[in-house]
Amino acid sequence: MAQKGKGDFRLKRTWRFWLALWGCKITDGVIRLLGKSGTTLPGVVANRLDPRIISHLGRGNYPEGIIIVTGTNGKTTTANLLANVLKQAGKKFSFNEAGANLVTGITGAMARNTGWLGRTRAKLALWEVDEATVPQLCAQITPTQAIVTNFFRDQLDRYGELDTTVRLVREVLPESTRLILNADDPLVAQFGLGRQDVVYFGVERTPESSERSDETREARFCPQCGAELAYSLFHYGQLGRFSCPVCTYQRPEPQIQAREVRCEEQRIVFQVDGQEGSLALPGYYNLYNALAAYSSAKTLGIASGTIMEGLRGFAPQAGRMEAFALRQGRVILTLVKNPAGFNQVIRTVLGAASRQPLRLLLAINDQAADGRDVSWLWDVDFELLQAIEENISLVICAGLRAEDMVVRLKYAGITEEKIRLEDDLAKAVALLQKDWGSGGQAYALPTYTALRPLRDILAAKSRQAGAGSGRQETRKSKEDGV
Amino acid sequence: MKLKICHLYPDLLDLYGDRGNVMVLAARSRWRGIETEVQKKSLGEQPDYDDIDILFIGGGSDREQNLLVVDLQRHERELRQAIEDGLVVLAICGGYQLLGQYYQAGNGLKMPGLGILDLWTAAGDKRCIGNVVVRLDETLRAAADTSGESDATLVGFENHSGKTYLGEGIQPLGKVLHGCGNNGEDGGEGTRYKNVFGTYLHGPLLPKNPHLADLLLKLAWRRRGFAGDFTSLDSRLEREAHETMVQRILAGSHR
Repeated sequence: MAQKGKGDFRLKRTWRFWLALWGCKITDGVIRLLGKSGTTLPGVVANRLDPRIISHLGRGNYPEGIIIVTGTNGKTTTANLLANVLKQAGKKFSFNEAGANLVTGITGAMARNTGWLGRTRAKLALWEVDEATVPQLCAQITPTQAIVTNFFRDQLDRYGELDTTVRLVREVLPESTRLILNADDPLVAQFGLGRQDVVYFGVERTPESSERSDETREARFCPQCGAELAYSLFHYGQLGRFSCPVCTYQRPEPQIQAREVRCEEQRIVFQVDGQEGSLALPGYYNLYNALAAYSSAKTLGIASGTIMEGLRGFAPQAGRMEAFALRQGRVILTLVKNPAGFNQVIRTVLGAASRQPLRLLLAINDQAADGRDVSWLWDVDFELLQAIEENISLVICAGLRAEDMVVRLKYAGITEEKIRLEDDLAKAVALLQKDWGSGGQAYALPTYTALRPLRDILAAKSRQAGAGSGRQETRKSKEDGV
Repeated sequence: MKLKICHLYPDLLDLYGDRGNVMVLAARSRWRGIETEVQKKSLGEQPDYDDIDILFIGGGSDREQNLLVVDLQRHERELRQAIEDGLVVLAICGGYQLLGQYYQAGNGLKMPGLGILDLWTAAGDKRCIGNVVVRLDETLRAAADTSGESDATLVGFENHSGKTYLGEGIQPLGKVLHGCGNNGEDGGEGTRYKNVFGTYLHGPLLPKNPHLADLLLKLAWRRRGFAGDFTSLDSRLEREAHETMVQRILAGSHR
């Protein structure tokens, strides 16, 4: 990169650029005409025609900045929360919705936001970026802000080891990029070592924080000196109040810190900057996503009140704690993709099952987007379910790796009679509804590639039940709740 | 009568759901009515090698592996003696490499291993990542002494860049039907030396290969002189998981 750190001027546009831009837009138009969406083809075409397309489209074209969101978990939720805040603040921005977070997806989002004459329609860009894609992206543009959510083991078969991923991302984030970092994750907070103007966000404590932890956790060692880190408080995974007993590395004091955190009726309530915030997403891990969005918006100069409005008004997106009202009962659908995320979901399930009996549907696939290696299932603490086993009446295992899931549950001590194997998703949902009685409650937990088909099935059933879609239900319950 | 399983460095070497292997050994031992204890030993904590029946070492990231070679060398003599005496060991991926002579990094630098097994590892230029099926060596299969179609194979997932080569005297666990195995060149996967089983297969390995789990338990029983029948357990669910994957992988439908 010859012009490192200078993101403010526009590059000379060549015939390749015009070919790539128009190629991309035409492909996109054709695909839309065919009634398809969510494909990466336009981005593939553009990058094939001009490998520098991203820098041509990006440099100097977003005067209010380019914000990227990366990390293992919470990228999509953070980006969506921030998008809601930006909308609330009346900003026009380019956004790669639906998790199109590789180079091709980001190119597609940029091209869609650029006219045929090469002018951008938005002043600001907000992109969710896959961890492994950050180097490719930063080789072409310099983000104004980079939000780093957390790092957990995830799809090791795709990225090699976690250390490598973390190092790659850390090395390529340009010096002039303002970092918005999770202070509670030692793997993320280390990005701030030796840098100026870092914004840290963190949590003082949640009702689930504890002085001890038996959970699987990454980053046992100090990134600076290699000594084992000490914790005075764990929130979840390796997130907590850490310090190195040998050197000076410790949890940085966050400028944005959530206090008085509690859960109320499917919402998280908290205090930041002396204001009360509320989030319609259960699971304390979502608080971090809200804090990341808050920190970024505040850095942009958006007023705290407006940010809180944006967070409060957020409705969960597809497959993240999304509720579907079926004829007999309610199914909550949420994506599971790695041990840390799954453990958080299990905690939410435990809370729900302590109030009323429930059924579970676990849909585990092993396609490339899920991770081909399912050994991570053994790092998930399914043993926790034993504590409420009498309130779990049925566990259905579906998907390409249903058999692996069944074995995992057997060794987690779940009664074999409660476990059902059903590879086919539609049949699995039918089984979930069978003899369910009324007022039932279920959690459907799919991996990435099982999410969309499972969601389609649940949405169809929900329409049949005439109760409207899950999203509408969520909105309604929110109005009742606040 | 108590079976003691020692999980070495569970906090450091636990990249690929390795604790699942220990969970399976402990459960299958308990289901047979044997009181079972799992000890976790980390840096600076030496296992009592005379006292334990099964030792498990998993895989970790490179940095963590370097840290603990130094630690492990402090009790290398005791471990070597126990292994010569028939201690049952399951060593996977990084743990497997550690037991060998050395690991040669990409820059030519040799990092010494424990030198207990006659094998060595060289950094490869491409990572072996994917599902693996291994046809078990005949003598091993006979030792496992179980019936059932699935007992002829091992199924797991590999993710390593090191290529491991076996010395003259030691044999692989079996022949790779799909995947890389030890080095992607000679078709061998893993090794057995006395009661030490080394392998690149995780996934984890034992949940879907209950016949191997039972072989380890049986060897540990015999060594400890436990009386009583080694009862067979209902392993239908495990076998189903095993067979589904073997069929899928060998049919080539997994990609």
